[in-house]
Amino acid sequence: MKKKKFNIWPYILISPALLIVAFVVFYPIIEAIFMSFQNYDLRRPDKISFIGLKNYIEMFQDEIFWTAVKNTLIWVILGVGLQFIFGFILALLLNQQFKGRGIVRAVSLIPWATPGVLIGLMWKWIYDGNYGVLNDLLMKLNIIDQPIMFLSQTSTAFSSVIVTIIWQGIPFFAIMILAGLQSISHEMYEAADIDGATKLQKLFRITIPSLKNVIFITIILRIIWVSNSVDIIYSMTGGGPSYSTQTLSVYIFNKATVLDLGYSSGMALLLMFMLATVAIPYIRKSFKEGA
Amino acid sequence: MKRLLVITLVALFSVGLFGCTAASNSPSTTDETDSSTNKNTNSESDDGEGPTLTYWYWADNSDYSDLMQNIITEFNETNDKGITVVGEEYPWDGGGFMETLFTASVGGGAPDVATFKLTSTPLFTANDLLANLDDYIENWDKKDDIDPNIYDIMKTASGTDSIYLMPWNTQVLYVYYRPSIFEEAGVEVPTTYEEFLTAIEKTTMDTDGDGQTDIYGFGMRGATGGQEPWGSFIHARGGSFDDLTSEASIRGMQDFIDIYENGYVPKTATTDGFNEIIANFKSGHTAMTIHHTGSSADMVETFGDDVSAFPFPAGEGQWTSMGDTENVIFESSEHKDAAFEWVSYLAAEKGQEDWTVATGNVPVSKTVQELDFFQENEFMKASIDGMSYAGIVPIKDTTTEWINTIWPNTIASALLGERSADEAMEILHEGLHEE
Repeated sequence: MKKKKFNIWPYILISPALLIVAFVVFYPIIEAIFMSFQNYDLRRPDKISFIGLKNYIEMFQDEIFWTAVKNTLIWVILGVGLQFIFGFILALLLNQQFKGRGIVRAVSLIPWATPGVLIGLMWKWIYDGNYGVLNDLLMKLNIIDQPIMFLSQTSTAFSSVIVTIIWQGIPFFAIMILAGLQSISHEMYEAADIDGATKLQKLFRITIPSLKNVIFITIILRIIWVSNSVDIIYSMTGGGPSYSTQTLSVYIFNKATVLDLGYSSGMALLLMFMLATVAIPYIRKSFKEGA
Repeated sequence: MKRLLVITLVALFSVGLFGCTAASNSPSTTDETDSSTNKNTNSESDDGEGPTLTYWYWADNSDYSDLMQNIITEFNETNDKGITVVGEEYPWDGGGFMETLFTASVGGGAPDVATFKLTSTPLFTANDLLANLDDYIENWDKKDDIDPNIYDIMKTASGTDSIYLMPWNTQVLYVYYRPSIFEEAGVEVPTTYEEFLTAIEKTTMDTDGDGQTDIYGFGMRGATGGQEPWGSFIHARGGSFDDLTSEASIRGMQDFIDIYENGYVPKTATTDGFNEIIANFKSGHTAMTIHHTGSSADMVETFGDDVSAFPFPAGEGQWTSMGDTENVIFESSEHKDAAFEWVSYLAAEKGQEDWTVATGNVPVSKTVQELDFFQENEFMKASIDGMSYAGIVPIKDTTTEWINTIWPNTIASALLGERSADEAMEILHEGLHEE
């Protein structure tokens, strides 16, 4: 059997793209690693020096850092989890035949197509304790007799922001799952009908197993995006009141904007490693499918 | 072996490509630089034209944008040195302007002149980005038209004995109030801090008898920026920014907490920023709030005669915040003499009058302060009355973080009862003064 001739040209042609990727992705990561071992604070440029693990030690002693880690976990678990559940339900509804389905599908995409900062500002006014439409509605329905300070008190601020990110993310899950639903063969459902399967049996034995890959990929992608998301929280609360809505990415952003780049790089690397543990299965799966 | 060959070739190709790109860029950059230098030289010498300055500024609205462009046009047409200023506007973006300016100047793309805020001075001077103005000001014929105290504040900001900022205009905070609400509540304009606290209490009213507060006495700002009015409460009890853990400072903080807990301010105060306090005042939701002349035109448009102002009253101490906008010349500028002509035009000449009259900011030029416009305006009067005790939050490496993050979060926790006044002040003191 003739051995396949080795061709060098594909490698040569791909090398400029590889070089660019190396420059814009790997170089900043390496730079961030170096910065995280320095007191790289541009407010004190004359004092920048190598400090070993001091940033990391300080981080573990930083009360606000741990609040941010706890908030990030809640933010991701509740945010992504509920987005998925509601997105799944919406996809099942949109998969039904009904009049005006096209319009409803298009409208349901609006939250996903709206910029995060705009969503933040819109919900900030919806929640407003003095003029907010939500308080007005609840009072007119006699559900409450005093306005709720949704974003101004620690007890309600974080859950209010989580509701906003859920609202934003539902269409993403809905559309992806809907696409998956449409690829499931009708013959499987017909066969199940003949066997006398109930609706729930069909959901758990046909629909969900068939959507396994879509669900896996969308959840992993959304975990990464939601963890990194700054825009909604920042425009709604800035991480307050009293750090109650401060996630790790918002804390990194706040530290970076005051030019404490060493400390924020350290936190960013930790967040990157946390996300890498989630992203690695996704990357491995992508490679397997590509092979 | 083949693999090694591939890797070597790919590496060589990449380096070669990068080298080619760099090489092909270099001459053109040099050519461009040369040609632009030649062009400048020609325009300065042969054509008899002066240098061209790049000026970065922000404007709070489109009227101010037009105003600045008009001032620039007038300067370009009237200055006798042939200087051309090219004004480039960037949004203030909640302070993002200063970050953009810093990034650009560190990266070698600084303009010749830019509008500036005192609080950013240490960052820029520590990186040797600003031109020293000592000699320019010393030899300036209008030097005495600006109060020496203002030059001292410029020096304090840099942490040296040198001036790096050219004064331009100030905004002194004072208290806006609604005369009709005062009348309804039966209170006079307060002249002491105690009277001010009483007025806050009395103007908090349930006007329709449904058991709910309809008008709050005071619009408290708990979000970023609120440290300025808060500072007045601290100083009124005899405290100061230098020692936030002193008994007097803690008493001022306790007043702030009490006002919130007693329901004299909207419960949203923990997160209320500039937009919220202004909206609350303009909708009649609050009887008093603290801001500067920047919002006076808007207030008059809303209330007509039913809005007035008084300086923050004296207690054991007295302080109000002096906002500021200056101009700086960058060290990298090749036309510093021309740049000083421009910033001095804005500080004490026609540019000063045009800008301050139109924007309602307090002029730094004594000559301009004497104009009827400033003497007869009640809001401007409250500002000028406050100038004698106006100050700034200490400018340190820590100030930006303290203002943006530490202050609002700590204040929120104190107002919500999660921290006592002295615990909160301990955190605030440490956050501001840590080395």
